[in-house]
Amino acid sequence: MAQRPTPRAPSLDSVTTINTDGSRLFIHPADVSGWFTLARRIAGVALIAFYAVLPWIQINGNPAAFFDVAHRQFHLVGLTFAPQDLWLVFFLITGLGFSLFLVTALLGRVWCGWACPQTVFLDHVFRRIERWIDGDAVARRALEAAPWTPGKAVRRVLKHTLYLALSLAIAHVFLSYFVSLPGLYQMARQSPLQHWEPFLFVMVLSGLLYFNFAWFREQFCIVLCPYGRLQSALTDENSVVIGYDHQRGEPRGKASDPASGDCIDCRRCIQVCPTGIDIRQGLQLECIACSNCIDACDAIMTKLDRPKGLVRYASFNTFAGKSSRMLRPRILVYAALLALGTVAFAVALTRVRPYTASVLRMPGAPFYEDATAVRNQFMVRILNKRTHPVAFTLTASADALPSLVAAGIEAPFEVPALGEIQRPLIVTVPRADWRGQTALQVRLLPQGGRRPELRVLPLLGPDR
Amino acid sequence: MNPASDPQEEALKPHVYDGIREYDKRLPNWWLWTFYGAMIFSFGYWLHYHRSIPLPSDEERLQSQLNQLAIKAGAEGRAALTDAQLWEMSRDPAIVAAGRETFTTTCVSCHGAKLEGGIGAKLSDTEWVHGGLPTQVAGTVSKGVLAKGMPGWGPVLGARKVGEVVAYVMSHHNEGEPVTLVPSAQPMPPGAAAPAVVAEPAAPAAPAAPPSP
Repeated sequence: MAQRPTPRAPSLDSVTTINTDGSRLFIHPADVSGWFTLARRIAGVALIAFYAVLPWIQINGNPAAFFDVAHRQFHLVGLTFAPQDLWLVFFLITGLGFSLFLVTALLGRVWCGWACPQTVFLDHVFRRIERWIDGDAVARRALEAAPWTPGKAVRRVLKHTLYLALSLAIAHVFLSYFVSLPGLYQMARQSPLQHWEPFLFVMVLSGLLYFNFAWFREQFCIVLCPYGRLQSALTDENSVVIGYDHQRGEPRGKASDPASGDCIDCRRCIQVCPTGIDIRQGLQLECIACSNCIDACDAIMTKLDRPKGLVRYASFNTFAGKSSRMLRPRILVYAALLALGTVAFAVALTRVRPYTASVLRMPGAPFYEDATAVRNQFMVRILNKRTHPVAFTLTASADALPSLVAAGIEAPFEVPALGEIQRPLIVTVPRADWRGQTALQVRLLPQGGRRPELRVLPLLGPDR
Repeated sequence: MNPASDPQEEALKPHVYDGIREYDKRLPNWWLWTFYGAMIFSFGYWLHYHRSIPLPSDEERLQSQLNQLAIKAGAEGRAALTDAQLWEMSRDPAIVAAGRETFTTTCVSCHGAKLEGGIGAKLSDTEWVHGGLPTQVAGTVSKGVLAKGMPGWGPVLGARKVGEVVAYVMSHHNEGEPVTLVPSAQPMPPGAAAPAVVAEPAAPAAPAAPPSP
């Protein structure tokens, strides 16, 4: 009947937001209010505040999050990491992975609906602006179909100007994670040509954010996001997801019909859905677990004086009338792996020292030999990750070689704040005392430290 | 509105694999645009990497930028220092002090706190192993004498610090004093091409024989 290939009813066989001719069906979700909407808004605003405030908080003289790529120093909640500490990222990423496994097996795609920056910014910032300027879903749909008039143009220009401004703001906050706020302020007062790389980064990022939040929206979740796909594969029949209680709702019918179930087929759950699905068809890959349909259905049920929860958080087993278990083998395995990883990470963090030291053989021959001595040459490199200078005392020795002479480490090494030094360490052993290859022990004691750090290196030379 | 009654929904591809059939749906148009964009990109990629259309490679770009820097350095008088300039620097207390700082942290373990030598050569007398002109000393510091265990300090210290440390060494000497070339005190095995390492581009003809006294 309709000459345009839209609209269609949501179906399991295709993506609602892509028309049959491949064009985009722009979803205008209806307003919804209720307990979940409120809780989600509070969570979203708190998260945005957290993202924005993080670069302002100073801990130990550095921002709480400052990934100083230019100087290869990474400050996080008062700790400073050097590129040499990159191995810790292993625990971070596996920890995130196991957290995702555990949370998803328990609660489905709760991340997507409640904490993902895509949803947080889209639902609590950009959709709010759209609602404020363009009106509710009916008005928005009418405005989209309306011919261009000065009024529509003003609204569109206003809306997209705000979108662009906010995209720029988000991109700048993100950049401040990498250049710090003083750095950002300094750059903002200079010509872009003096720092064209960060400038280009912010412009491209702003453009992508604008495109994403103004137009791309749920397509990102449905088509691009690997995290969503992965999460969809991690749920089972015991995972708590958003679903529709078939047994209670079916058969659908009028509210006045005593023979029908609780669902009156009012389609509110479809109208409020930001990805355009019908939750009554069951869990679908488009579902980002935003819980809009729960609040929408609960409001209708309240009006009808029927119990809430026709659409609710529950597991497949619960909806099927079977018992649902929270503790399953996979939950225990994920939790155990997460606990193991967390403990390993905690131990690893205590191993991170406020300095990084290396003792490496100098380029050239492995050793030098003449009539009087055997000589090994090393280069000591110390990186001080503290914001004040630290002196390091070095000693070098080898078992059963009291005549060993270590030159270059007589005086303590003064390493400037957040600085790095290189010093030669020349180890000579009298030829007469040389008994073949042995182990050199280099001990490194930072000023005020109690236990020296030991480095064992081969002391090379002729066999006899 | 029943999906099953819509003929579009029924469209299936003719093939069947293991009983699995595939819907024949249009791809999202925006997705197709990314695909066309990739095609356009691949054409440029093909031209550059497979047809050798001469866009500058990273190596060439690096070289051209280094050349630019060299030209700029030359224009600002920061080109390789001459003997005269290094002698002048060796009389400047500030530069010598900075050079001493580098010397005591980097060179002292082999050449001694009073330049008296030890593992390395003595630097306070008029006998030189690898040339005693300031530019030759600078060349030795920068490139090292790998055969004897002295690493090249140029990349570690940078040109400025090398200049300072040479100025510090030359502050123990006087311009015009005799320069005696001696073989190393610790002879290396034959074939260890020590002299080749010292090849000094700045002063090609100078070192062979000391002119005075």
